[in-house]
Amino acid sequence: MTQSGGQISHQVSVLNSPSEKLAKMKKLLLMILAGAAVNALILENATAGGISVDAGLTPPEDRWIIRTQARYMQRKDDPTTMNQEMETYAFPIVVAYGFRPDLTLMIRQPVKYRKMSMGGSVSRDIGFDDLFVLGKYKLYRRNTREYTFGIASTLGVEFPTGDDDFGSETWDLEPGLFTSWRSGPWASDFSIAYKWNGFADRGKNGLNPGNELSVDLALAHQFSIGEKADMSLTPVLEFNYKHILSDSLSGHNVANTGESLFFVSPGLKFTKSSFILEALVQFPVWQDQEGSQLKQGTRLIVGTRFMF
Amino acid sequence: MMRHVFFLLVLLTLFFSGIGCNSVERDLVVESIEKSGTRVYEVFGMDCPGCHGGLEKLVKKLPAVQEAEANWQKKWLVVMVNPEVELNDEDIYDAIRRANFTPGKRIK
Repeated sequence: MTQSGGQISHQVSVLNSPSEKLAKMKKLLLMILAGAAVNALILENATAGGISVDAGLTPPEDRWIIRTQARYMQRKDDPTTMNQEMETYAFPIVVAYGFRPDLTLMIRQPVKYRKMSMGGSVSRDIGFDDLFVLGKYKLYRRNTREYTFGIASTLGVEFPTGDDDFGSETWDLEPGLFTSWRSGPWASDFSIAYKWNGFADRGKNGLNPGNELSVDLALAHQFSIGEKADMSLTPVLEFNYKHILSDSLSGHNVANTGESLFFVSPGLKFTKSSFILEALVQFPVWQDQEGSQLKQGTRLIVGTRFMF
Repeated sequence: MMRHVFFLLVLLTLFFSGIGCNSVERDLVVESIEKSGTRVYEVFGMDCPGCHGGLEKLVKKLPAVQEAEANWQKKWLVVMVNPEVELNDEDIYDAIRRANFTPGKRIK
C-alpha cells in the first residue's frame, strides 16, 4: 500500500478540477435518464419483481438513500373454470437515512396498479398500498483487510394507510435479522423476516390476513469497470422462500388462502459512484397453494438507488 | 471571404481563451495543493464503488479538511488538509468509524 506523493497530488488535483466535477455531474444525469428509460421500457412491456442485498450492513451516519423500484407480478393458471388472471405493477419508493452509525430509519410507500381478468371481463385498479416504516439496528460489524461481516436486526411497522383495493387495513409488525459478508469481489447476504399481520387489530370484515415468513439468500460477484474502479457490474443469484399462513376469521382458517413459494432469481447490478441500477427476475421453481388458488408467475424487478 | 476569416478569428479566440482558463485553473489547483498538506489513511470495510461517498461526506465536514477522496479498491482515504487549521488523526478515525468502516494505519 504505497504510492508516491506525485500520484496522490495528481489524484487530488483531478478531484479539484471544476471541469471534472461538471463532467461527472453530466455523466450522472445521463445515467439517471438512462435508468428511467430502461424502467419505462420494461414496464411498457409489462413484466417485473426483486429484493435487497445490502441488508446486514448499516449505511454511514448522515447518509441518504433513495430507492425506486418497478415490480411486476402475475398470477395465472386458474385451477377452477373461472379462467382468472391477475397482473400487478408495484412502484415502491423507499427513503432511508442513517441517523447514527448503528441506526437507520426507512420509509416505504408503494403505489400499485392491478389488472384482473375473469372470463371476458377485465377490471383495473390503481392506488396506494400501506405505508411501511422500518428501523435497522447494527448488532455486529467487523471490517478487516480480507473481509467485511455484518449483522443487523430490523423492526418494521406497516400502517393501515393504503387505499381500499390495496391496503390490508391492519397494523402489521415485521421483525427481521440480516447478515452480510463481503470478501474481495464476492458477496453473500442472508435474511429472515416474519410479518405478523394484524398484530393489534382485525382487517376487513374481521378477517385477519395470514402471517408471512420470508427467507432470502443472495450471492454476488463484483466486476470492476474503469481505471479508477468507480464503476462495477455485479451478477447476482438469489434464492427466495416465502411461506404465508392462511387468513383467519373468528379463529378459523379461511379456505383457499395461504401458500409457500420458492424462487430462484438471477439478476444484475450496475454501480456508478452514488448511483445503482439493478434488475432481477424471480422464477417460481416451487409453489404450494392451499385449496384452489391462482399460481404464481414469473416476477421482475427493476430498480434504482441514489445515495448522497 | 471576410466572413470566413472573421469566423476563424472567433474560433481561435475561443480556443485560446479556453486554454488560458484551463491553465489558470490548473495553476490554482497546484498552488492549493502546495499550500496544503495531504494525508492518506487506510480504511477497511469499503466494498463497492458506491460505498466511499458516505465517508467522504463525513470527512469533508471537518473544518480542517479541504477535500477528501476515498478509494474502495485501494482501501484508502486521501485527505487534503488546510495547514492553518489543526486536524488530529483521531478526528479522521472518528469520521471513518461513523461511516461504519474501520481505520487502519496512516500511510502519509
